Amino acid sequence: MSLMCSLVMASITIPEKIGTDPQSMLWLLPLTAAIVVVYKATKLPTITLGTFVKETVVLLGSIVIFIIVIALVLFALAWLISG
Amino acid sequence: MVKHSRGNHLVFLITVGLLAWVVPGAGHYMLKEKKRAIIIFATIVLTFCIGLYVGSIGVINPADAKTWYLAQIMNSPMVAALGHLTTTAPENYLVFGKPNEIGQIYTGIAGLLNLLCIVNAVYLAHLCGTNRELTVKTPGKTGG
Repeated sequence: MSLMCSLVMASITIPEKIGTDPQSMLWLLPLTAAIVVVYKATKLPTITLGTFVKETVVLLGSIVIFIIVIALVLFALAWLISG
Repeated sequence: MVKHSRGNHLVFLITVGLLAWVVPGAGHYMLKEKKRAIIIFATIVLTFCIGLYVGSIGVINPADAKTWYLAQIMNSPMVAALGHLTTTAPENYLVFGKPNEIGQIYTGIAGLLNLLCIVNAVYLAHLCGTNRELTVKTPGKTGG
């Protein structure tokens, strides 16, 4: 029990090592999922497993697709300007 | 009588709001929205814990990151205890760079999500009170 407690304490008192590479931006995907889940939990009139999962996946998917489209547009713009 | 009822309604709204702040999802639980309460509790606590895991409790910094702290404290008043811990011994909880950024974003967004849930719970409580008043006022029309 004390070992478990020590592990938990250690995990929240020492920061993780995260680089400044583009892959570190992927850390924001779980955050997007959390925002979508809470938003849908407050907005749906009645919550059933099927409806909730469907609505959440649709919203999360559309956000991710929109992010990818924006990234591609910005990448193309940067390529056109610099290349 | 009406004033007394309105007073009770206000106390009810404040209680729901405070409960929702102290424990994420508790406001909805009080309104018998158990599924919503469980989803909100699990998501907000998990998001906050991921923030602490990535950036350590050093991301809760009432001295140097006041704006983030305002968002973080919306998670629960218990965040103030962590803030007190990090301000009394800041040298033990130093965090810089990307982990600090991501930790602050996670914990701050978790707090703002809880603020959204507090507002939603108070609004639902208000609707419950209004509906109850309507059903009390109109029993004669329905024959009850």
